[in-house]
Amino acid sequence: MGHSHDTPVDVKDPGTLQVSSKLKTLYSVLMAIGVLAFVVTLASGNAERAWHAYLIGLFYTVSLALGGLFLTSIHHLTRAGWSVNVRRFFEAFTSYLPWAAGMAIILLIFGAGHLYEWLHKEAVESDPLLQHKASYLNQTFFWIRTIGFFGLWIYFSRVLVNGSLKQDQTGDASISERLGKVAIPCILIFALSYSFFSVDTLMSLEPHWFSTIFGVYTFAGLFQSTIAFTILVIAYLTAKGRLNGFVNENHLHDLGKFLFAFTVFWAYIAFSQYMLIWYANLPEETIFFEPRSHGTWGYVSVALILFKFIVPFLALLPQWAKRSLNHLVAVSFLILIMQFVDLYWLVYPNVGKEHNLVFGITEVFVFLGFMGLFIFAVSRFLSKHSIVAYRDPRIAESMHHHVVY
Amino acid sequence: MSLDNIVSKIEGILRSKTKQGFVGIWEDEHKMIAAAHEARKAGCTKFDAITPFPMHAVDEAIGLKRSYIPWVTFIFGTAGCLFGIWFTWWTSAVDWPIIIGGKPMMSFPAFIPVIFECTILLAALSSVGALLFICGLPKVDPPVIDPDLTSHKFAIFVPEDDTFYDTQKLEKIFKDHGATDTRKTEF
Repeated sequence: MGHSHDTPVDVKDPGTLQVSSKLKTLYSVLMAIGVLAFVVTLASGNAERAWHAYLIGLFYTVSLALGGLFLTSIHHLTRAGWSVNVRRFFEAFTSYLPWAAGMAIILLIFGAGHLYEWLHKEAVESDPLLQHKASYLNQTFFWIRTIGFFGLWIYFSRVLVNGSLKQDQTGDASISERLGKVAIPCILIFALSYSFFSVDTLMSLEPHWFSTIFGVYTFAGLFQSTIAFTILVIAYLTAKGRLNGFVNENHLHDLGKFLFAFTVFWAYIAFSQYMLIWYANLPEETIFFEPRSHGTWGYVSVALILFKFIVPFLALLPQWAKRSLNHLVAVSFLILIMQFVDLYWLVYPNVGKEHNLVFGITEVFVFLGFMGLFIFAVSRFLSKHSIVAYRDPRIAESMHHHVVY
Repeated sequence: MSLDNIVSKIEGILRSKTKQGFVGIWEDEHKMIAAAHEARKAGCTKFDAITPFPMHAVDEAIGLKRSYIPWVTFIFGTAGCLFGIWFTWWTSAVDWPIIIGGKPMMSFPAFIPVIFECTILLAALSSVGALLFICGLPKVDPPVIDPDLTSHKFAIFVPEDDTFYDTQKLEKIFKDHGATDTRKTEF
């Protein structure tokens, strides 16, 4: 519930983030080990594994960046008051999108052949089902879609973020009004494009399989992990004493509720997908769950249910849990790790023969490399701009934010 | 038992149990909140605030603790979940086992929606029930301290069995904080 305050408050500029040498070392080391692990795996003749690890890292970080775009749009669309003080972090996430576009193009040029069966002429020729899907699953259209999606995402993030940054300079309230209108097409395009992007990059790894709820499933993970990462950013800046007076336990409470809600949402969607396929028991659908329900993969599936739903669900249930930063940070770490496991679970059964579980330093390091690049992009953005959108016309609502429920 | 008897019995249950006490009435909510802080400092613990709309600072000002409703929700939700598991198992695997679609008798994926609904049903109904119980609702004849309390006035009511009940001191606290009216009343 928001307060209505008639008198506008004069909020001081909280300033930019001075990227400490520790943080610089962190993301540099992460990027270095990522590149190293990737190159070593490629050089050792394990291209398939290297590119699958690359795909996980790319999809994970693109989801975080798009989560930022989505939450910024929702904020403007609903004219939210409480989230003004945390919106700049969402905006910072979108600054990763141009980097992600570069990484995606590298994947298109060099890696896609190692990932997608339907890109190979011989495979399509001998497979009537792939021929049937060829009007969608073909190289040209795949390139157009991927590049087009990144173009749209970068365009919308630019418009939304630049407007917000301009407001920092001018304090012009009409900018918020305008961004509210931009957010409408943005959110529609996000919903469709992210869904198609998930189908293109993840679902088509097993091109015979299809699930109409797949885009919602990846969206649930996107929302959950973006909120978790936002909480970590807040924890970092709070530890540096940079958010005094801007973000308090009431903002955490609302973020915690989001985290809780989308933990439940993820489980709901995951179960909806599973139950229908399990019940109908059609071979073209069960090929997805069949390899994931035996042996080591079966344990991974159970781990997902336990640590991506049950543990965070119970951990976030009490009210105090959503108002304690330390507690939220622990849960956020768990959720971010499980988001990696979730993507690993989606991608890796396609690596190697017999659906054996392949896991090692490559997967972890390549993923960490992408995280390094993401942290680099976010900290670079925050080092150039105020860490809070302090001249937003609705900032008074956020400064005095109070949650009773 | 005649119908009249039943009606009067129900009415008796629904009739509110009122207390004598002391009330202060304000037209400015900020002054009322300041007075509430003061009354708490003086030693009042069981007093209540009556406002025409929900206000954030009031729960803190009168020292309202969190209610135990979340625990009711949690316990009944868990009970509903366990009941759902037992019930689907008993109906589908024990009392009337039928093979459906070649699935096992006890098929969790098929029963989770039922178990989920049982959880939600019991959690929700018990929460509403606990709320009605705590608030003593429904009431048929709530005493009216001042009809304007549903429109633009704010009141603090201190019952006579409160840990601090000294009408003269309370009157002074209320008047000092800009109360427009103070009197003994029933609520």
